[in-house]
Amino acid sequence: MRLEDCWHPLGLSHSIEAGSSAGTRLLDRELVVWRDRSGIAHIWEDRCPHRGMKLSFGFVRGDHIACLYHGWQYNSGGHCQYIPAHPALDVPKTIKVPAYPVHERNGMIWATLSENPAAAPENDEPVVPLRSLYLGCSFDAAVEALSTCRLVPLASEAPVETVVSRVTNTLLAVSCAQDKLLIGIQVISKTRTALHLSLCGSAQRYQGAGQAHFNAWALQLRHAAEHVRATHAASDRDVA
Amino acid sequence: MANGLVLYNYELDESCYKVRLALSLLGLEWQAVAVDVFPGKEHLSPPFLALNPLGRLPILRDGDLVLHGTEAIIAHLARAHDPSGKWLPAQAPEFAAVMQWLIFAAHDLGVTIAARRHSLFGPSGNEASLRAASSNAIRIMDDHMTARGFVQAEWFAAGHPTIADIALFPAFALSRDFGIDHDEYPALRRWARRFRALPGFKTMPGIPDYH
Repeated sequence: MRLEDCWHPLGLSHSIEAGSSAGTRLLDRELVVWRDRSGIAHIWEDRCPHRGMKLSFGFVRGDHIACLYHGWQYNSGGHCQYIPAHPALDVPKTIKVPAYPVHERNGMIWATLSENPAAAPENDEPVVPLRSLYLGCSFDAAVEALSTCRLVPLASEAPVETVVSRVTNTLLAVSCAQDKLLIGIQVISKTRTALHLSLCGSAQRYQGAGQAHFNAWALQLRHAAEHVRATHAASDRDVA
Repeated sequence: MANGLVLYNYELDESCYKVRLALSLLGLEWQAVAVDVFPGKEHLSPPFLALNPLGRLPILRDGDLVLHGTEAIIAHLARAHDPSGKWLPAQAPEFAAVMQWLIFAAHDLGVTIAARRHSLFGPSGNEASLRAASSNAIRIMDDHMTARGFVQAEWFAAGHPTIADIALFPAFALSRDFGIDHDEYPALRRWARRFRALPGFKTMPGIPDYH
């Protein structure tokens, strides 16, 4: 399975509020993630066809996103519907922003760039959002760091085995006693990777103290990933 | 001369913007005196050095009081002109949190001011190291607001906006001026959206009116 054919997480669902947008990158491509006023998420190429301005700098009105530069408005299908400088113009159908399929599961927003994608991750358990981590390492290095991680369960201080399993190429489950973290892996570029973390279970169990417990673990994971990188950089210098 | 608030102001200066934000969010009336910082360097001329020997803006005149130091100015505005007491809370834990983030803004976010000056006004300073230090400081802010989200808190230092939020907003809102995008700071994106919705919010060049 090539990474290009996978579904990829681009952020936690709660990070993109209705009526807002954000830029991101997937496999070195610039994308805009935006949510219309009714709450539906859209993932497009982050580029206005008019002058190349990033649409993530623009603004959402109702079910449209508008470019900050000259106000060209695009409907949820990606078609330009209105050009303020030519209010009477019937805008040609060819003015369109490439749009990608979107799937929301596990508290994450997923997209695929493939025309024949693998099956999308399914899960109907309730989840509580934890956080996103942005790491200066490759996809493989991030998977490696996760495969050897050790989780401390929320309810007990006693050592318990951590089980890491691959749900899909871009989704890992890390379990320990009663707790299970879902970790979506976003390939930003060859050297940059984001992890999007959700806790399986109810808000009643995890909201507040539970989130803080696993947030501390996530920050340690980030520190370890960055420390490994610093050690490698130092040994590279020694060799040179 | 003794009456009213006078701000010695340069429109493109993010520190002056913090004071304009504070004045506006507090619903105050003020008079702005435009200072020709670039290219005139008027702020380094003797009349301005007499007001602030450090040769920096903003400078605030409030009656007979003349103040420099951005965070001192916004703290004064809150203490002297906010009857609600909310923008600079007196209770110990909130006051301490406000002071912590004000000092972070004045000290640790200085690199973002240097990075932006380097980008906009010419070569001085090491671009890569300024950007690395700036993204590190902004990440500290994002981590803090991520943790605040776990207890449903929407602001940096209290259950409502304070001058800490005012002091921290420009560095994030203007970060694209020095090459740091908002992609990797989801908690700050949400905080900035809330901040923009406050009554009296104003933009400056580099911060879009529409959002």
